[in-house]
Amino acid sequence: MIAQLILTVLLSAILLYAWVEYRRAPVIGLLSVLAALTGLYFVWMPSHATWLAALVGIGRGVDLILYVWVVISLIVLLNLHLKLRMQHELITVLARELAIANARSASKST
Amino acid sequence: MQAGRGNAVWVVIAAFNEARVIARVVAGVVRHGYSVVVVDDGSRDETLVAAAQAGAHTVRHPVNLGQGAALQTGIDYALQQGADYVVTFDADGQHRAQEIASLLQALDRHCADFALGSRFLGTPTNLPTTRRLMLKAATWFTRLMTGLRLTDTHNGLRAMTRRGASVVALRQNRMAHASELLDQIARSGLSYVEVPVTIEYSAYSLAKGQKLSDSLSILVDLSAQRLLR
Repeated sequence: MIAQLILTVLLSAILLYAWVEYRRAPVIGLLSVLAALTGLYFVWMPSHATWLAALVGIGRGVDLILYVWVVISLIVLLNLHLKLRMQHELITVLARELAIANARSASKST
Repeated sequence: MQAGRGNAVWVVIAAFNEARVIARVVAGVVRHGYSVVVVDDGSRDETLVAAAQAGAHTVRHPVNLGQGAALQTGIDYALQQGADYVVTFDADGQHRAQEIASLLQALDRHCADFALGSRFLGTPTNLPTTRRLMLKAATWFTRLMTGLRLTDTHNGLRAMTRRGASVVALRQNRMAHASELLDQIARSGLSYVEVPVTIEYSAYSLAKGQKLSDSLSILVDLSAQRLLR
């Protein structure tokens, strides 16, 4: 039950993230929603996950690995997000320097 | 009060695709004798040309970075030009240029380093209920995070002294810059005062304004920055 609640919170955070990202990248947003909803479904309907696992020839023991993988993936995703932010900050500094170096004063531009 | 110190007061306007209104906004500010710098945030229209023709200094980002990044660029530029006072002013025409004088007077009268405009102390015209609720929620959140007791935390009309502007170092490129700025004010220990201002909402400014999903973006950005510290 505790694992289900933790995973629900994490997957709900992915849903919010997907909503925010949808305006910038609709495909990423939709894929994230799909993945998060699928995850939520299997978290709360583990018997269906077992049925699906049996269908494709995977035993229940893999569930734990799957859950761990989900958590690790979320952490990797967060890490990538933070690294992208740092890269973006560097680009901002460069763009700002370039913009100010090429500024046009009012007297020159009118 | 502002007459005769026009060059000491720099008004920073961040603009993105504002060709329709920017000339009128710049002309309205220039008319009061202030120096204006328009930071064109990678617009795809004629914003830069219109701003220059209206009498603004112009700085252009090579790519779109966001309002927070544009404001920081404008503040840096104004300080380089020797500004004694820096004012931030929205590009969409919802602020009144004559109210800049009120902010500057408040800085002098209260010996403050920041004068922050508040629409809730002033007269918000045509403010939709959803926007009012969103702004109130943002005010509550900012009060919780920074401890600053303000009535309006996402108002783009502000004035600051040179000393105040020098402590501003916005890293939030997009909408979260407003909360970040207040956080930096709180951390700096510099004094601030709220000043009633009038916001004139129009269909144009509402269309350009923040939406509910932007508030989520702001929360994500602020949380990410705390993780980076």
